[in-house]
Amino acid sequence: MKKFLIYIAKIILLMILLGFLLDGLFTAIFMQSYNRGKIESVFNSKAQDLDVVILGSSRANNHFVSQMFKDKGLKTFNYGMSGGHLFEASLMLKLMIERKYAIKNVILEADLNLANDQNSEGISALFLPYIHNSGIIKEHFKVNKDFNELYYLPFYRYIKYGTKIGFREMFFTAIHKKTNSLDNFGYYPLGITKNANMKGNLTYLYPLLKNKYYEEIKNICKLNGINLIAVMTPVCENEKGLIYFDRVKKAYPEIYNYENVVADDKYFSTCGHLNDAGAKLFTARIIKDFFSK
Amino acid sequence: MFFNSLAFAIFLPIVFFLYWFVFNKTKSTQNALLIVASYYFYSCWDWRFLFLLVFSTFLDYYTGIQIEKGKSERNRKFWFWLSILVNLGFLGIFKYYNFFASSFSELLNSVGIKASPILLNVILPVGISFYTFHGLSYVIDIYYKRIKAEYNFVDYSLFVSYFPLLVAGPIERATHLLPQVKVKREFDFEKAKEGVCQIIWGLVKKVVIADTCATYANAIFDNYTSMNSFSLILGAVYFAFQIYGDFSGYSDIALGVSKLFGLDLLRNFNYPYFSRDIAEFWRRWHISLSSWFRDYLYIPLGGSKGGIWMKIRNTFIIFVVSGFWHGANWTYIAWGFINAMYFLPLLLSNSNRNNIDEIHLKFNFDSVKVIISIFSTFLITCVAWVFFRAKTITDAILYLKRIITDRDFSFQYLDNERYNYELIILIAVFILVEWNSRTKIEPLSGKRNLLKIMLAIIAIMVFGTFSDYKEFIYFQF
Repeated sequence: MKKFLIYIAKIILLMILLGFLLDGLFTAIFMQSYNRGKIESVFNSKAQDLDVVILGSSRANNHFVSQMFKDKGLKTFNYGMSGGHLFEASLMLKLMIERKYAIKNVILEADLNLANDQNSEGISALFLPYIHNSGIIKEHFKVNKDFNELYYLPFYRYIKYGTKIGFREMFFTAIHKKTNSLDNFGYYPLGITKNANMKGNLTYLYPLLKNKYYEEIKNICKLNGINLIAVMTPVCENEKGLIYFDRVKKAYPEIYNYENVVADDKYFSTCGHLNDAGAKLFTARIIKDFFSK
Repeated sequence: MFFNSLAFAIFLPIVFFLYWFVFNKTKSTQNALLIVASYYFYSCWDWRFLFLLVFSTFLDYYTGIQIEKGKSERNRKFWFWLSILVNLGFLGIFKYYNFFASSFSELLNSVGIKASPILLNVILPVGISFYTFHGLSYVIDIYYKRIKAEYNFVDYSLFVSYFPLLVAGPIERATHLLPQVKVKREFDFEKAKEGVCQIIWGLVKKVVIADTCATYANAIFDNYTSMNSFSLILGAVYFAFQIYGDFSGYSDIALGVSKLFGLDLLRNFNYPYFSRDIAEFWRRWHISLSSWFRDYLYIPLGGSKGGIWMKIRNTFIIFVVSGFWHGANWTYIAWGFINAMYFLPLLLSNSNRNNIDEIHLKFNFDSVKVIISIFSTFLITCVAWVFFRAKTITDAILYLKRIITDRDFSFQYLDNERYNYELIILIAVFILVEWNSRTKIEPLSGKRNLLKIMLAIIAIMVFGTFSDYKEFIYFQF
């Protein structure tokens, strides 16, 4: 039995050792990443000047055409992330500030994402390779229930989020395989989707009255002298429960309601996402209203 | 509590410690502990079905004794049939009733008689097909006087409910397991070490091969109407490895865990994808079920004795019943039927036992023939797996038809955000590892054991799929 217990101890030790080694290897490779995604590109970047930073979910990513800001002479990047929540948007802004980005304006898509203050697992996982290399990321994740496992168990985060930061992503990062998420200055144009579901229902959705991460973004902007432009972006004309946007306006009077500036279904790829033509119309309106001087 | 869960990783060392350090005085204390652990293990799924398990155990235990004690043949027959009918009755109600009711109703509707079936709102108790077959084989063996009835209820309960085999087999025989639980187990380092290797290899099969293949196979099967020929072929291959990795991985873990407690279970898989014909495949795939049906169905029906029609009838019966055992769906019946069709030419030409020797490859023409026969056996197995995996027979036929008619062999992007070919290298490596260890139980034991274990752990950590597909496929059977 003693022999067996020693044998098991050896295997457990081997596992722990491998955990540390693999963790170190994966993290080292992700630390070199620069062309895979928005998070890595910010984390591994240096100070830069930006006139406009766009934050939010896919409804920011697909709705703000960065090039149109550029054409106006505004240095702009769209950091909207499909599937992302305000948790990630706030962390992204914190990282930019830490890297001494000089930002004049932040356009924040703040509408449906105000309804929760949880992290989006799929997107927040992309920050996790850097959790031991950034006090800001560590602090931001402390609210998560599984923070201790993610932070202290070697390689656990890479196992848990294997589809996001596992072997495949590590491998593509190692060979510097480019993705399209940084193309078009972060804007991702959508086409026309055949048989797209042009219906939705927001009747039972309520914005949180004091969304923690929205407030955080507001405070960061205030402290750093950044002009925050929080906007609600369009949904298709068949969407039910548009009262949701009134609820947002009531809870957060400073958020501009642009929900109805593009209404025709032909400008939508899906009910919650404008297609490229719709995004151009929408962006033109935003530029006219906020950057026409 | 899955074998690949954190809960099991805590449960197993606790039971191991108690078994060898606290309850190790006699075989009775050892068995009592294993029974408690097994019932706890089973109740983690649904404690209500524990009553069913205990009832089924008691029924077979009691009827077994009554059959043995029976003074007249009539009396023995009564207890025998009581056990058979109640056991199959439970299986019928929980597993097959809704299928028969809805099929019958569909049949009536198709001839113009309006009928709506009365369906039962019951869930299938985990492992019912497995523990029912344990009990059945025990009672049948007593009736035919092959074994003596077990009078110690704890020992018998352990034979039926032993947690490593409780929910997905292997389907044990009283002749094999009962004698082992009748004696006190002494710790055997080599056996335990073997067990650990088997557990680790089982985990590799499950989380690296099966669960990874599942993400691809699901993406292809669920969207087969938009997939090209190449993707559909890969989908069938991925599913073949998914089900093999899943079930043989489970069996390896079960056998390995059992070895930690000093008990050997029946081997369930013997590298089936290296079979040279379908008869050999069935001697290597889910061996405990195949041999169960052979001994308790095929042979009593007359086996391969008798005339040609008898052989054909028996072959179809055993394969169709075996398919139906997997689940109440026409797709499983079709899968069994197809396998019977594959098997028949071998049986009729008396060549079903041609390939019972070990495979040795050399640089000669015979080896080329062997490779071709292995490849063609795998190919026809994949065709049958399409029926097993598809939701309906129509889906399976359309899936296969599309492979032939689409004729597009380009790489396709799947809805799991992967390309369809990306898994091939992993499977190729897995095949090479299995090929090199085809004469052994698993590839990790032997020389450089710790190095091989290290590579297996790396594979599990780096290539394993942990987010989804935790459940073992055979739990639903």
